[in-house]
Amino acid sequence: MIEPVVKEIWVGAGVEDAFRRFTGEIADWWPTEQHSVSGEACRDVRFEGSVGGRILEEADDGQVHPWGTVTAWEPPGRVVFTWHPGREPDTAQSVEVEFSAQDGGTRVRLTHTGWERFGDSAAEMRGEYDTGWTFVLSRYAGATA
Amino acid sequence: MEHGRTLHALSDATRRNILARLRLRPHTVGELAARLPVSQPAVSQHLKVLRQAGLVAAEKDGVRRIYHLSVEGLEPLRAYVASFWDEALGAYGRSFDRAPRQEEKE
Repeated sequence: MIEPVVKEIWVGAGVEDAFRRFTGEIADWWPTEQHSVSGEACRDVRFEGSVGGRILEEADDGQVHPWGTVTAWEPPGRVVFTWHPGREPDTAQSVEVEFSAQDGGTRVRLTHTGWERFGDSAAEMRGEYDTGWTFVLSRYAGATA
Repeated sequence: MEHGRTLHALSDATRRNILARLRLRPHTVGELAARLPVSQPAVSQHLKVLRQAGLVAAEKDGVRRIYHLSVEGLEPLRAYVASFWDEALGAYGRSFDRAPRQEEKE
């Protein structure tokens, strides 16, 4: 019903560097003025590197705004996280980022999904409509329908 | 921004539930209320929010109104998400073009 958003970019760096830049070094590049809850008052962005790790911004006034939580941490090839910047966690979608060696650099592929949970026939067959966190997380824990 | 209204509409679990059911087939308000743990007036209110966000539409069938999903209603949100990641990934890619950062004292 609703296609995922898929974006790809090639960077001239090795896979480990590309993964680390995206995650641990997110503060070095994330455009916080345009894309953060606190905007110009954004002081820091952090990406905690483990399953359950938080992705968050910290504002000048010390307030923390969570963006999501890591659901899969597989350096240097793959990271998956829930995504709900400025929103409640139970409205989260899911973002998967994959890093693979290509042409002397790294191809980075980002897939933003979670739209299709608005019409999951598998959930209908289970006789439930789990529209919260557990639905999103179960997709990556390999839960069966 | 249009996508703000979409996000608000999607921010409620009952409304997401309604969308999931409408994806299977169109429903009347009564049919939705019979399957949800909320009252019929509450369902009507949720449908109003979804209609205003362009996510559902209704057709009259005699005295009944039958609600269906309006798939194109999600397009503003998808377009916003697509441009959002274009900008974020663009910044990520450009960070490799810069000279290495000097160590800065915290």
